[in-house]
Amino acid sequence: MSKNSNTPAGPEISSQVVGSQAKVYAARMRLQNALDQADALDAIREIAANLIGTEEIAVFKVDQKRSELWLYWSFGVDPNKHSVLEVCREPKLKQVLAGKPVYRLKLSNENLLSTEDPASALVPILVDGIACAVIVLFRLFPHKPGIEPVDREICDVLSNCAGRAIEPYHSR
Amino acid sequence: MPKKVLLVDDSTTTLMMEEMILKQRTAYECVTAKDGLDAIARAVVEAPDLVLMDVVMPRMNGFEACKRMRLESSLRETPIILVTTRGEEEYVEAGFQSGCNDYITKPIDSFELVTLLNSYLGE
Repeated sequence: MSKNSNTPAGPEISSQVVGSQAKVYAARMRLQNALDQADALDAIREIAANLIGTEEIAVFKVDQKRSELWLYWSFGVDPNKHSVLEVCREPKLKQVLAGKPVYRLKLSNENLLSTEDPASALVPILVDGIACAVIVLFRLFPHKPGIEPVDREICDVLSNCAGRAIEPYHSR
Repeated sequence: MPKKVLLVDDSTTTLMMEEMILKQRTAYECVTAKDGLDAIARAVVEAPDLVLMDVVMPRMNGFEACKRMRLESSLRETPIILVTTRGEEEYVEAGFQSGCNDYITKPIDSFELVTLLNSYLGE
């Protein structure tokens, strides 16, 4: 049987597993130890920049009718370009509001939203199991090829532990 | 005695992740600092075998801290690796001009990190 030269060797696999565990653990601890709402939002920025690889982030809050999402906080993007997202015009948002993150496939040029800035991931923030907000990760760093399996695990942590960023009194 | 690595970053998330990787994959002892000024003070006292330092930090950035470390006789030969979000040529060039030995881009790849540190620390 021929060995694929692209397949990582044993020590590399072990290192990647440890690296993934370390990233997921660090993300969870950072969010769970957030001091207040502002710190929780900073934690999202820190996790996105240092662990996933993007410095263009926005958090949209879902309105009561669940028909629109309003920009709540952003970093590295022009807030004037992204003040509101209409659910009827953004098919991917329906899935996100049902609680499931959506990711742009590697090497795909597809934009997940109709925004000018390309979105790489849409991550629901769940509070008591309901998507109350959505984190949009826009452009990844140029040297980052796409959303990887470990990034999805980190996004799951964001989804389940970032409630405090939008609901100040949400228990951790 | 284990080799000592000084980790410098204003992000507690990054410090925690780097420390976990190095503790699980190497025998290096880790000490930490939260910005460039803190890093210089810690480096003088701790005499690390290697410094792994973020570039963008409050109070003093990684480039400046690197330059100042090179003025300290005890740190002149210490390998310094800068951690940057950008891999562009001009940014990397600025890093080397500040006196760093190498750089690694964020998000950090654990295998790349361990391999790079081992290459400088002779493990």
